[in-house]
Amino acid sequence: MPPSFSDIVEEARLSARALRDYGEGFFHPTVRLGVTGLSRAGKTVFITALIHGLTRGGRFPVFEAYSSGRIARAQLSPQPDDAVPRFAYEGHVRTLIEERRWPNSTSDISELRLVIEYQRQNGADRKLTLDIVDYPGEWLLDLPLLNKSFEQWSAESLALSREALRAKLAAPWHAHLATLQAEGHADEQAALQAARLFTDYLRACRDERFAMSLLPPGRFLMPGNLAGSPALTFAPLDVPVDGSASDGSLWAMMRRRYEAYKHVVIRPFFRDHFARLDRQVVLVDALSAFNAGPEALHDLEAALAGILDCFRIGRSTMLSTLFRPRIDRILFAATKADHLHHSSHDRLEAVLRRIVAKAANRAEFAGAAIDVVALAAVRATREAQLQRGRDKLPSILGTPAPGEIANGETLDGETEVATFPGDLPDDPEALFKGDFRGLSSAGAEAADYRFLRFRPPKLERNGDAEPSLPHIRLDRALQFLIGDRLQ
Amino acid sequence: MNDKTPGKTPRRPVTFKLDDPGVIVMDPDETGRPLRGAVQITPEADPAQLPVPIDAPLLPARRGFRWGTLFWGAVAGLVLLGTGLGVVNLIEDLFARNEGLGFLGVAFAIIAAVALMVVISRELFGLARLATIEKLHLRAAEVLLSDDRAASRVIVSDLLKLAHQNPQLARARNALATHTDDIIDGADMIRLAERELMAPLDEEARRLVSTAAQRVSVVTAVSPRAMIDVLFVFVASLRMIRQLARLYGGRPGALGMIRLMRHVIAHLAITGGMAASDSLIQQMLGHGIAAKLSQRLGEGVLNGLLTARLGLAAIDVTRPLPFNALPRPALADLAKDLLRKKDEEE
Repeated sequence: MPPSFSDIVEEARLSARALRDYGEGFFHPTVRLGVTGLSRAGKTVFITALIHGLTRGGRFPVFEAYSSGRIARAQLSPQPDDAVPRFAYEGHVRTLIEERRWPNSTSDISELRLVIEYQRQNGADRKLTLDIVDYPGEWLLDLPLLNKSFEQWSAESLALSREALRAKLAAPWHAHLATLQAEGHADEQAALQAARLFTDYLRACRDERFAMSLLPPGRFLMPGNLAGSPALTFAPLDVPVDGSASDGSLWAMMRRRYEAYKHVVIRPFFRDHFARLDRQVVLVDALSAFNAGPEALHDLEAALAGILDCFRIGRSTMLSTLFRPRIDRILFAATKADHLHHSSHDRLEAVLRRIVAKAANRAEFAGAAIDVVALAAVRATREAQLQRGRDKLPSILGTPAPGEIANGETLDGETEVATFPGDLPDDPEALFKGDFRGLSSAGAEAADYRFLRFRPPKLERNGDAEPSLPHIRLDRALQFLIGDRLQ
Repeated sequence: MNDKTPGKTPRRPVTFKLDDPGVIVMDPDETGRPLRGAVQITPEADPAQLPVPIDAPLLPARRGFRWGTLFWGAVAGLVLLGTGLGVVNLIEDLFARNEGLGFLGVAFAIIAAVALMVVISRELFGLARLATIEKLHLRAAEVLLSDDRAASRVIVSDLLKLAHQNPQLARARNALATHTDDIIDGADMIRLAERELMAPLDEEARRLVSTAAQRVSVVTAVSPRAMIDVLFVFVASLRMIRQLARLYGGRPGALGMIRLMRHVIAHLAITGGMAASDSLIQQMLGHGIAAKLSQRLGEGVLNGLLTARLGLAAIDVTRPLPFNALPRPALADLAKDLLRKKDEEE
């Protein structure tokens, strides 16, 4: 497909912005850190823990610039984009430390700027500005739509919804879809009804028992300020991929709205936040997929592949680096590593490596440095050996969130438990062959993995100083992401 | 590491409430047999909360442009040009006097040039090898902190390459090579490599240092003139450092020795303050007592201890891995060797 006029305009806007950023970068070296992850992967917690650690003094032995004391201080400063809400850092810290609750899921984009004053290794004093963007993970699923037409998207969505596990959840929507005439007259009420049923189906897939990831379009789940607008009132139709719609038909209306969605929602998001990144951390919550079952794991793989493809959009053009900022370091992080004993972290990393293998190879081929790490931005558990008879199980201790179910008993959020979540296999391929049972196909008693959700840790306050948040390998992540800029 | 073997059925997930009557929470250091049917939970020390030892870097980082190197390089170039010119003139003169002498001169000049090339390339090779070992040391120290698996694998394969020529280590090499594919965390891998490869070398290094120290102390005790002492200490130290470097896989030539000597002394200067607190008092005390017995004997012991300290610094600099799994040889051990030997000699 030749690039359309709007694509060219879009490219020009991206280039102009990149050039301006480049100029500003001369005087204030800036790193734009993209924190990417599907919903519930832990983006907000990661950002909060990162800022808290840098500004309040965390334990970062591996982060060389910090542990050697070259970072004099780091402080928050006014963000560059006036139209974007500020990341509610203080609120999130309070939620984490005082209420011992995880922050609510993000519903809108927000931004924060951190200025790090440091001494270079040759002695010169410098400042590095770190811009961090937080956004709902659901929106990320939209990026692959940029390259798809309405007909392609319809066909893919339908095929996906007819897969075994999803077909059950999509039944009401399928029933309604069968009554629709694509070539028929455009009917606003029918469109509204279809969009509502389609959204219900997407929402059902997201339930903890299924933990599906591939659920575009993302704004349907997290509409923000666009709720109810025509750009969000469409749904896939059962139409041929290479067909064309006649004027005034339902098909034409749906297609127009789909294009509007791309134009109003996806493009600005991509332009303002995605095309300008220098460093990228991709957070992946593999544990909830293990909980749910093989379908969820495959879904996660497909969703990530689609998103990681979008990073390439910047690469494949002929424009030079001056006009086209490149992501030169990508960190793939398996979050919530504290839900596993540390002896299993290597296996978790192996699984993540397998999930992102294709994207990682491509990134390496393009010259970007990549790393895979199992981390916990805020560590909620301690480790213990659990001995039952002869068995010794490497397990973890923590307080599960209220409402979590263990041994058929609903926990109140105050009881501490010791849990062994199940053995990850030595060879990650075993998981992808699908020979394990999750909540989607079996009861809680028969599932092979059971990762409880834990409350944030109880922190001892000594004096007035705010306690530092415990973590797992957050320092290694920082060293990889910005360590080289602080040399 | 996990004790699970492949092929065994995966263990099922289980969860226990800590306030359950059938659950006993044990202290980490408490040992005892669990009651029958009870579930026993032992919290583990949190590795993230343990203090992380961060060693000062072995050598201060080099900063700025190396004007000194440039200067010496340029001077060396000029000297080489001057020598070349002199040789050319000489050969021309020889030819003017007698053709036979001229050819002889040319032959000597060629031999000298070839030999010079070989010497220089060996020096360069030795320097590169020393630099490799130093880098390996730094990288290993980093991995011990970061626990990076991929990096640890690279370090171990480099180490194996370095140890390739040492027949003493054949068994250790094989043992280590079988572990490279196991699931072992980065830092653990480095510690494993240290235990396997470095243990026999450390033993040998300790022996080398204490031999040198003994020799120095004996010669100082019996030598008639102070000048001879100084010379002997210097030669013995050089010899010891060279032997240590060879032992740990380096092959320093003359330039390499200069560089190594500089590093050893710089390291001694950095760590001197730290060492002073732990053992200087004892040494001085010991020296005082020995000096009461005989002045020469006291000087001998002191010189020997100084040599031993130099040797320890040299071990730190020439060893390709930092001390982590194995104990760093302490001056006290060597001093014991020294004094015991002395007793036997008396």
